[in-house]
Amino acid sequence: MNSFRSKVVSALLLLVRLALGAVFVYAAWVKLREPWLLFAMSIDAYQVLPQWAVLTVARTLPWLELALGILLFAGRWRRLSSVAASALLMLFFSLMVRAYIRGQTIDCGCFGPGEAISPLTLLRDGSLLAGALLLTILSFRRPGGLRTPPQPAGGALVPANAVERGDHSA
Amino acid sequence: MRLPVYLLLSLLPCLVSAAEVDRAKAFGNPSAPLTIELFSDFQCPSCRALHMQQLPSIMRDYVTPGKAYLIYKEFPLPMHQHAREAAAYACASARIGKYEQVADALFQSQPVWEEKGNVFQAVASVLSPADQKKVQTLAKDPSVLSEVERDMQEGQLERVNQTPTMLIIRNGKKYPIGGMLNYDLLKRFLDELISK
Repeated sequence: MNSFRSKVVSALLLLVRLALGAVFVYAAWVKLREPWLLFAMSIDAYQVLPQWAVLTVARTLPWLELALGILLFAGRWRRLSSVAASALLMLFFSLMVRAYIRGQTIDCGCFGPGEAISPLTLLRDGSLLAGALLLTILSFRRPGGLRTPPQPAGGALVPANAVERGDHSA
Repeated sequence: MRLPVYLLLSLLPCLVSAAEVDRAKAFGNPSAPLTIELFSDFQCPSCRALHMQQLPSIMRDYVTPGKAYLIYKEFPLPMHQHAREAAAYACASARIGKYEQVADALFQSQPVWEEKGNVFQAVASVLSPADQKKVQTLAKDPSVLSEVERDMQEGQLERVNQTPTMLIIRNGKKYPIGGMLNYDLLKRFLDELISK
């Protein structure tokens, strides 16, 4: 039963990780193929950064998204990449919600130009954030969950790092 | 073999009239390196801000010097009660060469007619009594109404999903820019496109 649950959790981890990786790579590719100033205008429309910061973020963020997408897809540095993805999506989602509440008619800037912030984009980004948070939580847990693993007869302790390493394959 | 030719010939008057209408709502040099299609709604506050704050700079820096050809497109949003009526008046005034004046007046007094619904009063304020009559008649003309519809369909084809949306066209490639924008960044972008 426990082994079945572990398999389900591992499969879920793999699925969410691959999906998030693909989304980040796609988002980066869409931005990198267009002139970077278009993305700068999308960032600027949120009215949270000074212009020098807008230009810096517009030049670097797509590359960060690409690197993160590749890491997620390849399954390298899983904890770090899942935390980074969650943090980034949390930031994007908060900014989008803020703009929506303030009634700003602006481009979301998520997947290139020409996509206004709407309930649909909020739902999509909210789902991505939920996926990233799930991945983060699961990455810090062993596949069987947080329950103490059964102790071998004789009372030998399972090394703590075997549980907390989080390098289970997915 | 002859049928497609006849069909094409029969469509020719429609194409010619569409081009004429577009010219009445277009400014600058048609062979400019950039074409800017501006999808706008007269009742949208962001369109008003763009029209009053950034558009004069775009006209001064790009349209007047012949670097950009600006085409206005109507995109009245369904949630704006009087937007379609305002668009019809604007298109009607384009037929008598008064689009710019009427568009300015509509945006200028947007908060007033948006609340009271007296759209024509804003239009009439910049027209002579004779022109007012012409515009009132033209605004009900099916060809004017279908022009508004055509602009909207064009916007939907271009996946315009907010107003204002600027479609910058350079060598056939289209770059959509939606919502409010920073003119410094837009200028950098347009200059970069022109220099390509």
